[in-house]
Amino acid sequence: MTKIYEDLSLLIKRSKLTFIILGVILFLVLAFYWKIQIWDHQKYWKMAEANHLRSLPIPAPRGLIYDRQKIILADNQPSFKVSWLKESIKTDNQIIEPVSQLLNLRPEELKSRIERYRWLQSFEPVIIKDNLKLEEVAVIEARKEEYPELQLQVEPRRFYPFGSTAAHVLGYLQEISPEELKSNPGRKWRRGEMIGKSAVEKQYDDYLTGQAGQLIETVDSQGRSLGEVNRIEPIKGRDLILSIDLDLQKRAEELLQEKEGAIVVLDPRTGECLAWVSSPSYDPNRFITRFSPEEWLSIISDPGRPLENRVIRGQYSPGSIFKIVTALTSLETGIVSDRTTFFCSGSINLYGQDFACWFKPGHGSLNLPEAIKNSCNVYFYQLGRRLTVDAIARYARILGLGKATGVDIPGEKDGLVPSTDWKRKVQGETWFPGETISVSIGQGPVLVTPLQVAALTACVANRGMKIRPRVTRVDDQKTPEQERTGLDSDIFEKIIEGMWRSVNEGGTGHGAYQPGFEICGKTGSTQVISREKAEKMIERGEEPAKTHSWFSGFAPRNDPRIVVTVLVEFGGMGGQTAAPLAGEIFKVYREKYVRQANLQGN
Amino acid sequence: MLDRRIFREIDWTTILLMVLISAIGIIFVHSAIYYQASQYVWKQILWLAVSLAVLFVLLLIDYKVLLSFAFPFYVLMNVILAGLLIFGRRIANTRSWLVFGPFQFQPSELTKLAVILLLARLFSSYKEEQMSFRAFLLSSGLVGLPFILIALQPDLGTALTFVPVLLGAYILAGLPKKYVILILIVSLLAGLVGWNYGLKDYQKKRIETLLVPGQDPRGAGYQLQQSKIALGSGGLTGKGYHKGTQSQLRFLPARQNDFILAVVGEDLGFLGILVVFGLYFIFLYRLFMATQASPDRAGVYIAFLAAMLIGCQFLINVMMIVGLFPITGIPIPFLSYGGSSLLSNFLIVGLVINIKMRRFAYVRF
Repeated sequence: MTKIYEDLSLLIKRSKLTFIILGVILFLVLAFYWKIQIWDHQKYWKMAEANHLRSLPIPAPRGLIYDRQKIILADNQPSFKVSWLKESIKTDNQIIEPVSQLLNLRPEELKSRIERYRWLQSFEPVIIKDNLKLEEVAVIEARKEEYPELQLQVEPRRFYPFGSTAAHVLGYLQEISPEELKSNPGRKWRRGEMIGKSAVEKQYDDYLTGQAGQLIETVDSQGRSLGEVNRIEPIKGRDLILSIDLDLQKRAEELLQEKEGAIVVLDPRTGECLAWVSSPSYDPNRFITRFSPEEWLSIISDPGRPLENRVIRGQYSPGSIFKIVTALTSLETGIVSDRTTFFCSGSINLYGQDFACWFKPGHGSLNLPEAIKNSCNVYFYQLGRRLTVDAIARYARILGLGKATGVDIPGEKDGLVPSTDWKRKVQGETWFPGETISVSIGQGPVLVTPLQVAALTACVANRGMKIRPRVTRVDDQKTPEQERTGLDSDIFEKIIEGMWRSVNEGGTGHGAYQPGFEICGKTGSTQVISREKAEKMIERGEEPAKTHSWFSGFAPRNDPRIVVTVLVEFGGMGGQTAAPLAGEIFKVYREKYVRQANLQGN
Repeated sequence: MLDRRIFREIDWTTILLMVLISAIGIIFVHSAIYYQASQYVWKQILWLAVSLAVLFVLLLIDYKVLLSFAFPFYVLMNVILAGLLIFGRRIANTRSWLVFGPFQFQPSELTKLAVILLLARLFSSYKEEQMSFRAFLLSSGLVGLPFILIALQPDLGTALTFVPVLLGAYILAGLPKKYVILILIVSLLAGLVGWNYGLKDYQKKRIETLLVPGQDPRGAGYQLQQSKIALGSGGLTGKGYHKGTQSQLRFLPARQNDFILAVVGEDLGFLGILVVFGLYFIFLYRLFMATQASPDRAGVYIAFLAAMLIGCQFLINVMMIVGLFPITGIPIPFLSYGGSSLLSNFLIVGLVINIKMRRFAYVRF
């Protein structure tokens, strides 16, 4: 061995000694644990049992929703709810039975309610009944000692003072589902919380939702409160001001009563919607309970589909409204000028097929503005014959059809703008020129939502400036979202000329005429009807109307302030049904806003 | 350079003990936060795997090579700590974290390793029976610098874990009585000044709580009270795995970190505590006895300082949660949740294993 080890015995001795000291201390500490865990076990066991702290959420009021005149459309009301607080949520029948009797609930219902939340941490309250009547509150309060697991609480409950008015703008609340709770661990949602499930309540849920407070109290092993320890007050959600004008909204809803359809009124300068009607409507107050599934079922199974927001989710054939797009395409591509005339004899034979004008005797010889005024089909067949469907599709897209408008209400549908590509991909067939003839007057596979038509009308009214519709007020500081289409404003003037004549010179839109208000508009009637609907109407003993009725227009001609789009399902000819309704809205608007402005101006 | 024979000498028992204690830790972190996302558990399992891998890499390198880099390593860690103080982002009110994407790392943990290596290097050629004043000052200063840098983060708990290391160096080098008196006077003065100027209010509260327990059960004494209730109500056999009401009700704060043993004590009772103490006793015994298996002076220092670091952290934590020591935020090595401390503890024990592996001087004829 060449290596001689160092003498480290002194160090090793010190190390051993240290370990012995450490070991002795550890042993003494262990003895202390023995004292706490074995000797004083009873004492601490009682403390653990008797001295629980419990934290209860204090729900925060949601922000209020106002119309543009600061009238409250969505309010909060105090309401009583009762929660189940059995510490371990044991579902023993001994307690389920009397409690369900006390609350007038079916035992199975109560049980399933508690079961639904089993997966969540215990000791958090499970709401078992809400919107209690005062008598029920009194009964529970009186038997508080008997049922310490029942917890009465006041919560701010959403209340819509005008019931079904503007329901499709406001939306409704429903209890958050366990699935939503599980899939959003990042959000601080609580079980039983009411969240926005549609329209503005959903879109602006984060904005409207406040921050829940917290109440910490000591409770005994039976769950009885022994006093408050700490309280964090809830913070109310932020208020939201809509662009809706309640007066206009109410009037528009009256006009659509007993009818199925949609009305949109918007300001073409900003895109702000003043009225938004989808008929039939529903009363959102009825969903603000966490329970009564029967009622919910009756609403979702209603054949009139009151929950469907027809303004953005109803996809309809545009009918003659689409002639605006065909006319624009023709003028822009230069195949005709506004002075080009065609002769309408009441029908025309193209590609070996007869295409009829809606006016059997025929319009005779007319130019483009006259063709728009009279909504002459033959004139537009002549245009369709000279255009490709892809050219029409291109301009339809530029004008905003075929994709959602981007309004601040969720669930918007895209509509459909057909093209040769689309047909090849979706139907696997080539496009026939005869189909272009149909598309040129808005028949065929074209689909639009009423809001898209309103946005299209606003774009025409703005002479080519597209706006994004919205239901909330535009901030004064911010300019509204606008987008140029890049089309020549002269072209729009020529179409507006036709739309003006349609209303003011005895055209198809004459029903919308209001003396002293320069309204420009276009009617539409669609020949599409689902067989199902027609059969249902016959069943009800009604004459099945063959067409949906459209009118979309704006006013005043030179300084557009309002766009009105009306769709009445099975309303018959656009000129007969939709145009007078629109006229009524123009009238109300004029009385309220234009006169007001004049008075202020003078 | 690498002699295959050294691999026969790997101390598998110690490695097994470390893994076992870490596994118990992960099981009870899972119990402590049973109702929350299990990402804590997966993160800790990942850290354990990483730590084991790094440990084996460390074993390949002769500790004497590591010792030769002790000084630059020490300087680097102090530069990082100083940099953190100046540029670090505040996370949970301290500047202790380096952030790499989804992972966070506390350089203060790795600094422990650097300090142990540096002290061992310093004393490797120190053959006096008693410590000189120069050596006393030098070693105190070298430990004092990172201590202050970490205490300023502020992370007093981690800073305090350096004290047993320094204490270990004093003990091993043989501290004369007069210095003991000097230390007592200095620490008394520092205590007085610190009490009035240095300590935060909550830290004072914690010390007051220790002196007069139960006076303010909702404030500073709350944690202590809750951890004692958790332990005491556990009794002999406990309430069962993740059945403890104290921890499940979230009455017990920091239950996956500093108070993990209270969760063990509530779920498994005194028997569970006995098992943890037993495992730790064997573990510490092996660490302290590693000084006997060391070929040189530096090795003895490394083994002893590592044993002091881990032993004292364990001791302080088990005393802290029953109110025998102020609540300072010192976790139990291996058992408590925390990735960087797990890794640095594995590396520190890895050093000891490294020394034992190379205890024989193999001679080639």
